[in-house]
Amino acid sequence: MNRAGLLMRLLLKASWVRKDRALTALVSVAVVATVATVATTLYADLENKLSHEFRRFGANVVITAGGDNDLTAYQINKIRSLVGTRGTVVPVAYAILTGPNNTKVVVGGTDLNGLRELNSWWSLRPVGESGGPALLGVRAAEKFSPTGSPFTVSFGGKPAEVRPGAIFLSGSEDDSRIYIDQAALTALTGVRPNTALVRIEGRPAQIQHTIAQLSAAFRAFQVEPVRQITQAQAVVVGKTRSVVVACSAVVVVLIMLSMIATFTSSVLERRKDFAVMKALGASNRAVNLLFAAEAALLALAGAMAGFVAGSTIAYWIGKANFDAAILPEPALILPVLAGSVLLALLASTAPLRMLQQIQPAGILRGE
Amino acid sequence: MFLRLLFESFRRQKRRKSVALLAIALGMSIATAMIAVGAGIGDKINAELRATGANLLVTPVEDTLEVNLGGVDLKPAHEGAYIAESDLPNIKGIFWGHNVLGFAPFLTGQVILKMGDQPLSVELIGTYFAQPLRYGKESFSTGVRSVNRWWKVEGEWPPDYPGWPQGSPPEILVGSKIAAEQGIRAGDVIEGNGRKLRVSGLLNTGGAEDRAIVAPLHIAQAMLDEPNRVRRVVVSALTKPEDAFARRDPSSLSPADRDRWYCSPYANSIAFQIHEVLANTRVEQIRQVEQNQGKVLERVSGMMLLLTLAALLAAALAVSAAMAATILERRHEVGLMKSLGATNAAVATLFLTEAGLMAVAGAWIGFVAGSALARYIGQSVFGSAIVVQPVILAVVISAAMLVTFAGSAGAVQKAISFDPARVLRGDQ
Repeated sequence: MNRAGLLMRLLLKASWVRKDRALTALVSVAVVATVATVATTLYADLENKLSHEFRRFGANVVITAGGDNDLTAYQINKIRSLVGTRGTVVPVAYAILTGPNNTKVVVGGTDLNGLRELNSWWSLRPVGESGGPALLGVRAAEKFSPTGSPFTVSFGGKPAEVRPGAIFLSGSEDDSRIYIDQAALTALTGVRPNTALVRIEGRPAQIQHTIAQLSAAFRAFQVEPVRQITQAQAVVVGKTRSVVVACSAVVVVLIMLSMIATFTSSVLERRKDFAVMKALGASNRAVNLLFAAEAALLALAGAMAGFVAGSTIAYWIGKANFDAAILPEPALILPVLAGSVLLALLASTAPLRMLQQIQPAGILRGE
Repeated sequence: MFLRLLFESFRRQKRRKSVALLAIALGMSIATAMIAVGAGIGDKINAELRATGANLLVTPVEDTLEVNLGGVDLKPAHEGAYIAESDLPNIKGIFWGHNVLGFAPFLTGQVILKMGDQPLSVELIGTYFAQPLRYGKESFSTGVRSVNRWWKVEGEWPPDYPGWPQGSPPEILVGSKIAAEQGIRAGDVIEGNGRKLRVSGLLNTGGAEDRAIVAPLHIAQAMLDEPNRVRRVVVSALTKPEDAFARRDPSSLSPADRDRWYCSPYANSIAFQIHEVLANTRVEQIRQVEQNQGKVLERVSGMMLLLTLAALLAAALAVSAAMAATILERRHEVGLMKSLGATNAAVATLFLTEAGLMAVAGAWIGFVAGSALARYIGQSVFGSAIVVQPVILAVVISAAMLVTFAGSAGAVQKAISFDPARVLRGDQ
C-alpha cells in the first residue's frame, strides 16, 4: 500500500471508528458555517428588502412647477425616465374651486387609480350609488356629501357635477381635498398638471442620487423630498443593518470559540493514538499531517452542510418575514469553506504542538 | 457517596468540565444577547423613527375646509377656527402623557416684508422652538427643534419669547429660498408688517418653510394680532403598531374592552385622549407616517425574531454537541461504575446531575456576558443601552437545562448501553 493510500485509509478509519466524536466535530463546524452564512446572506440583501418595504410610504418627493406654470407632457416623461421603471410618478393638476354654500375647496385632477395605489395607507370607504370615480377627503365629504350623493362644484361660474366613489382618511391636508379625473378638471378649469407626486424606489443612497438628478434637471421647479419619509428609511435601514452586523458578529465569534474548544478537546482526547503512532516510528510531520488532514476533511464536510443549511434558513427568513425569498450567495461558498478549514486547522494543530513536548511513553503510561 | 462522586468528578476533570462549561456559557451568552436585542429593537427603532417627525395632527373643528396648496395657506385670514395655546400643556397630562415625546404648534398668516422699496408678501409661521412649559408639577420643553429634527438652521435658533421684547427687535428665522432670492443674511434686520425683526439664522427644511419666515409663536401672534391662538399642532408620540383591535370604535366596545383599548398606546387611543383634553379639536394620525412605520417596525422585529431563533438553534446544537462529546469520552468511567455494581439509573442520575449543575453555572456566566454584549450593541448602534429584562435569566437557565439534558441524555443512554467488560478492555 502506498503512502497516500495508507493516509486515506487512516483518515476514513479514524472517522468511522470514532463516529460520535467525528460527528460532534462535524456538527460544531456546521453550526459555525450555518450562522456565518445566514448572517452574511441576510446582511447582503437586507438593504434591498427593507427599502422595498418603504414603497408603501407613497410619494417621497413632490415636484411643483410653482406659480402658474404647468408640467408639460415632455417634462413628466423626463421625470418618469429619471425615476425609472420601479418608481411611480402621479401628475396632479390642483385648482381652487367653489363648492356648495360658496365654500372654497382644493380639487386635484389626476389618474385616480394611480393616486390610490400610491397612497395605499389611505383608509378608503366606498360610498354612493352614483358609482362615480371621485375621491373625497373626509372633511370635504362631511361638508359637501356625507352620504356620497352627487354635488356641484364650479369654476368661474362654470358648474360641474362631482359623483363620489369613495371617501378617504389620510390624516393630512388631503382630507380637505377632492380628487377627480384629470381630464374632467382640465375641461372645467383649463388647469393642467402642476404637481408631480413621485415615489422613488431603491436604497437610501439611490434615492438621494435620483433626487439630486431631478433637482438638477428641473432647476425652475421645486423638487422637495418628503424628509420625514426619506429620513425614516435611512434610519431604519441603517440601524437595522448595524444591529444585524453587531449581533451576527457576536454570534459568529462565540460559536467559533465554542467550536475551537470542542475541536481542541477532541484532539487532546486522542493523545493515545498520537503516542502509539509515535511509538511505531511516525515522524512529527507525518502525525501533524494526519491530524491536520482529518480536521480539514471534517471541516470541509461540516462547512458544506452549514452553507446549505444557512442558505436555507436565510431563504426561509426572507419568505416568512419579507414575503420574498433571500437567494443564496454563491460567492459566499469559498470564504465559508476556507474560513472553516482554517479555523479547524488552528484549533487542532495548537494542542498537537503541546503533545509533541511529551514523550510518547509518558502518554501511554497515562501521564 | 453520591455527593462525593459528584464533587470528585468536578475536582479531577477540570479540563473536560471547563470545556463543557465554556460551551454552555458561550451558547447562553448568545441566547441572552440575541433575546435582549431582539426584544429591545422594536422600541429602539420606534424611538429613532419618532425622531424623524410627528405622527399625530391636531386641528380645530371648523366650518371651512383647509385651502392649502404647495404648503401655502390660501384661506382668508378672518376664516377658520383656532386652538387655544393655553390648553396645549394638557397634552402632557393624558393617560399616555409619557409616550408624548413632544409637540409643536403652528400659526400661519401672510405678512408684508419690506425689502428696500419692494414690499413682498410672504407666509409667516409661528411655532415653538424649545418652549419651556409646565403641566402640573412637571416641567418640560418642546417645539420644532425636538419634533422636526430635519429642520436645519444656518446661524442661531431664536429664543422663545414670552411676549414682544422691549428694546432690541425679536429674532426670527428666514427660509433659505427667500433668503437666497432676497439676499438676506443672518444678522440682518428686516421689517415685517411695519415691525423690525432680526434674522438670527436661515432655515432649511426642504419643504414649504424654505419660502416662509418662521418666528417664535408669541412674536407671530403679536404680528398677526391673534393672541393665544394656534392653527394646528403636530404631536410626536411613541405608539404601538395598529392591529384589528386598535381600529375598533371605542364607543362600540364593552366597558372592559374599552378600558383595554384606552390603556394601550395605539395611535388611535392617544389621539382620542388628546381630543378629550383639547376642546373642539380633531386629532388624526398622520397615516402616511403612522400606518407605514408600524408595518416597517413589524418587519424589522420579525426579522430579528427569526434571526434570534436561528442563533438559538445554533447555540443549542453547539451546547448539545459539546455535552455529548464530554460524556462519550467517559465511557470507561461508566464501565467501571457498572462493573462495581452501579445501576443504570444511578449512573444516569450522576451524569445528569453534573450536567444540570454545569447548565446552571453556564447560564449564569452566559447571562452576565450576554447582558454586557447586548448593552454594548445598544450603546454602539442606538447610543442608548438595551436593558436586559431579569426574566431573560429564567428563560436562559431553562434553555440551558433543556439543551444540556438533550445533549447529555442520548450520550448517557449510549454510554450505559455498552457492555462494561468490553468497554474496560478498550474494544468500544
